Amino acid sequence: MNGYQLDDLDRRIIEKLGHDARVSNRQIAAELKVTEGTIRSRIKRLQVEGLIQFTVVTDFRVAGSPNLVMLGIHADPSRVAALARQIAEIPEINCVIVLLGRYSLLAMGLFTSIEQLNAMIFTRIRALEGVRDVETSISVHNVKYEVGLARITGPKSVGKD
Amino acid sequence: MQIRSGRTAAAATLDALDTGIIDMLRVNGRATNQEIAEKLSVTAATVSSRLRRLEEVGASRVVAVTDFSAHGLNVLIAVGVKVSGREVQDVARDLARLPEVLSANIMNGAHDIELLVALHDFSEINLFLLDHVAGIAGVDHLAPGIAADIIKFEFNVAPLR
Repeated sequence: MNGYQLDDLDRRIIEKLGHDARVSNRQIAAELKVTEGTIRSRIKRLQVEGLIQFTVVTDFRVAGSPNLVMLGIHADPSRVAALARQIAEIPEINCVIVLLGRYSLLAMGLFTSIEQLNAMIFTRIRALEGVRDVETSISVHNVKYEVGLARITGPKSVGKD
Repeated sequence: MQIRSGRTAAAATLDALDTGIIDMLRVNGRATNQEIAEKLSVTAATVSSRLRRLEEVGASRVVAVTDFSAHGLNVLIAVGVKVSGREVQDVARDLARLPEVLSANIMNGAHDIELLVALHDFSEINLFLLDHVAGIAGVDHLAPGIAADIIKFEFNVAPLR
């Protein structure tokens, strides 16, 4: 997937940031007994390689307690790649995976209203060329969610140091 | 119609300064309190206390998100689970204990539970599904799909409490 090979120091930095994303470079440096400059350049490299990013996560309840909705999409095989890109452009959709086996595509989004969900499926997804069927299922209870692990696909936004 | 209602947190009302801090951290989650303070014309101590409060009330938090590949996780599978002869909640809780499970949701749809699972390589799929998952009491049917490509994976809303 990625050319950059992580070494032991990278892994230890990732572990520290996983516990507290706001811990200062100085503190990480002191704990790992390397210089602050080393920590700064390692974090920067991990960001540039798309292996780590720092983001703000808002709690479900503050966001209005949306429900996770999963859409299993069956599509014309020749249209799957194009559909994946089109569906990923829909702002309400958080996740698009090209799937082998169950569906052609698995899309997920967070919704607070059935009408909004229904309108999006009909006007933005079913209307797309190549979509044959959309199976909708709604999460009624989230039992587990690992917030710190994902596929980093977005633009590589690297803040100044 | 609301899918879910009455659970929006009232305690965590955010003012303009809170949202200003959050907006800056969304762009650069590693910005120092001093950098944020200068941009918003407040003191670093104010930024620090606001951030602490946001985290304490569980409203939002800066997280380090690492790419699957940074952990050597090269295979993502989405597994639909049908349950029989046991409470879905209990089965979901047992499934959530498996470390490979990134997310577990109890669904209203074709399957009772949906899992997202990250594995190191294809050889682990067999062991995971047919040994670890199938070994849990109440698991009646599995519908696994293998991710061939992840186009989008951006969740910035999550359960924080």
